Amino acid sequence: MTMKTATAPRLQVKGIRKAFGQNVVLKGIDLSVDAGEVVALIGGNGAGKSTLMKIIMGIYTCDEGEILLDGQPVKLGKASASLAHGIYLVPQEPMLFPNMTVLENILMGFNEREADLRKRLVDCMAELNFTLNLQRKANTLSIAEQQMVELLRGMMRNARILILDEPTSSLTFNEVQALFKTVEDLKKKGIAIIYITHRLTEVFEIATKVAIMRDGVITLEGAVKDFTKEMLIQGLLPGGTEETCIKEEQCAPLDYRHLKPVLEVKDFSGYGFAHCTFNLYPGEILGIAGVVGAGRTELISTIFGRDKTLGGQVLLDGKDITGLSTKQILRAGINFVPEDRHYHGIFKIRSISSNTTSALLNDEEVGKVNMNNRKQREIADKYAKEFRTKIVSLDDLMGSLSGGNQQKVVIARALSTHPKVVILDEPTRGIDAAARGDVYNIIRQLKEAGVAVLMVSSDMEEVMELADRAITVFQGRINGEFSREEITQDTLTSAAFGIAHERKVSGE
Amino acid sequence: MKNPLKARWMSSLIFLIALFVITGIIAPSFLDYTNIINCFNTATMYTLLAVGIAFVIMTGEIDVSIGATLGLTAGMTGLIAQQGGSIPKMLAVVLLTGAVIGLVNGLGVAYFGVPSLIFTLGTNSVIRGLIYLMSDGRTVENFGGVFAGLNSMTVFAGISVYYAIALVLVAVAHIVLTRTRKGKYFIAVGDNAGGANLVGISVFGTKVLAYVLCGLFAGMGGFVFASKYGQVMTVAGNGYEMTAIAACVLGGISLSGGMGNMVGAAIGAVIMSSISRLLVFIGLPSTYNNTITGVMLIVIVVVDALAQRRSIEMTRRKRLLSRTAEPTPEGGAKA
Repeated sequence: MTMKTATAPRLQVKGIRKAFGQNVVLKGIDLSVDAGEVVALIGGNGAGKSTLMKIIMGIYTCDEGEILLDGQPVKLGKASASLAHGIYLVPQEPMLFPNMTVLENILMGFNEREADLRKRLVDCMAELNFTLNLQRKANTLSIAEQQMVELLRGMMRNARILILDEPTSSLTFNEVQALFKTVEDLKKKGIAIIYITHRLTEVFEIATKVAIMRDGVITLEGAVKDFTKEMLIQGLLPGGTEETCIKEEQCAPLDYRHLKPVLEVKDFSGYGFAHCTFNLYPGEILGIAGVVGAGRTELISTIFGRDKTLGGQVLLDGKDITGLSTKQILRAGINFVPEDRHYHGIFKIRSISSNTTSALLNDEEVGKVNMNNRKQREIADKYAKEFRTKIVSLDDLMGSLSGGNQQKVVIARALSTHPKVVILDEPTRGIDAAARGDVYNIIRQLKEAGVAVLMVSSDMEEVMELADRAITVFQGRINGEFSREEITQDTLTSAAFGIAHERKVSGE
Repeated sequence: MKNPLKARWMSSLIFLIALFVITGIIAPSFLDYTNIINCFNTATMYTLLAVGIAFVIMTGEIDVSIGATLGLTAGMTGLIAQQGGSIPKMLAVVLLTGAVIGLVNGLGVAYFGVPSLIFTLGTNSVIRGLIYLMSDGRTVENFGGVFAGLNSMTVFAGISVYYAIALVLVAVAHIVLTRTRKGKYFIAVGDNAGGANLVGISVFGTKVLAYVLCGLFAGMGGFVFASKYGQVMTVAGNGYEMTAIAACVLGGISLSGGMGNMVGAAIGAVIMSSISRLLVFIGLPSTYNNTITGVMLIVIVVVDALAQRRSIEMTRRKRLLSRTAEPTPEGGAKA
């Protein structure tokens, strides 16, 4: 162990385990990076990539396992310790000091004389061919320029291990090319690079080695030349699941020929997505798949009037609702169940019945001024029974319910307004398996009642299970549309990661 | 390079001059030299408090216990003076007391993670209670000698000794904050705590140090208070924290942290302490004092908050837009 051999990798992690409470995020990770090597780390949402990187960067400490640098075990656990060992993380969203100049940003945290630092900085910039006005304020920089600043910070610290966390996710095409050139230069300088990405094509362009993480373990690892895109997709799929084409046909397939769309989204653009076109039919569940940051949440939030529309149209029953306020859109008949119940969904210290009817507070039904308590309880009771919500009393506090049951109340609230369209954002995230089945049943009931359901989900199995049709969003654009028969783990994952399966992208 | 006219403290200075000129037009006797210099001399305590709390505000936190700290240390100074204690002894006691209070505040905020407004509101009450215990609820008075005379001593051109010392401290604090490596840590932590951590700056240590410095300055303020008034009531320093915070904000220090400097805080202190004097000259009753300063504070804070929110929203939108800016060929996206 103490022997330092010439072949020891620059960075090696062994048997890393990390849990947050009951949630085990990393289940024994082994990974190594050599000098001059670019290891592409790929994985879906929640695979544990960020946690692993934060452990290497010293922001988290691991529960088990060890980290070796050049064959020597090291103790990290503070960002300053990792920095001292020559590890530098360029976060997905650059963490600059917005009110400081570029120069101040780069030199912050050093203890040497400023004149010496400046000289080294000029050398670094020349070496990487960077041109940057050092006196500009950081908040005037583009994302690509902010990344340049981050890279310079790393170089100034003589970083020997550089972690790039999804560096291209907010870059334009030309900026990506420039970044690749820089990575190539850094590689030649013998720096070990861990490159996290969602874009499989980049792996073949820039990486020498690839590792796929899924559910807290590394499922696949090896030299890039030994792999094809299809093999990488296979590695991203859950283990042991043979593609089964047998789907529970609980409801008859929809006959689209006789349906009129209830929601028409036409060439719709906003912050984070562009030129999205799709239709939603009554009694249909339309799944929206994609990776985090693809623009799905931005798309549905903007439909719901929570952000500014930049172009295009949204029609509800043929009526233009583009750019209306959330309140008007709610009244028009669209309801939204947000992804994060705790921040946007529930009133924790109110009763279950108040929570169920809280969307009706402006309605005649429960009384505008004097609230009709009996009516409230009737409505809440009806939904609690229908949804099999496990409650002792309707007067119990919302916060006392489990996640799954809270979600049922939130969906009940959405339904109490009798919407034409319900938008669900990650409806079963953080919900246990039993309650998940119940939530699925509720979603099916919505469908049977003729409600159109728009469901954003990162869980491909969920989309397979529920959706009548699915669209995938990749880099802010709809890049695939799949009928119920076409929906498989494979097709969805490929499209979500930007691998085009020559499908029609229909805009009918 | 940097345009000095665009600096935030510069607009405060222009505001100060405008206030004086307008008052001078309404009541020419205001522009008398002694009167102007007195505006500065009376700002001593607020200047000390503002510079101290500026360190804390710079890191993105707040401290509302400085008024009480000033009251407590003023009382201590008075008690020592009554017993004929020396000035070095008084200074040692007030500085030590200020530092301990700052340390407690710093640990509570940075270690236990209690919101700073709540935690320092708590220490504020505790310190007020200590004042009563220390003085038995009575006014500390009948102390004098050389100590009380210090307040009226001038260095040159009518500038009092205390204000001269305060100005030196402002200059030192300003240089530390904007020119030294460690001093910039205060700004860095307030600007982006996560980013500061990533480049190896101790967010915890920086915040604790900011609170200790704040306590030290409040202690000095207490010394000046005792010397100036010759008696210390139990409510001494009540509300001074608001004036100091307002001075910082007026001087261009952002309440969300990471922006501003000490010169601005010092100018803000002069504006705040001059307002009651200005009102007298303009002919408005001094009963307007609190309302006017309050309105000024709210207007500036709201404008600052709106500007911050706007800039955050702009960055978010810029980032989202760049994602969809150009279709990449491998994306299979339709144009």
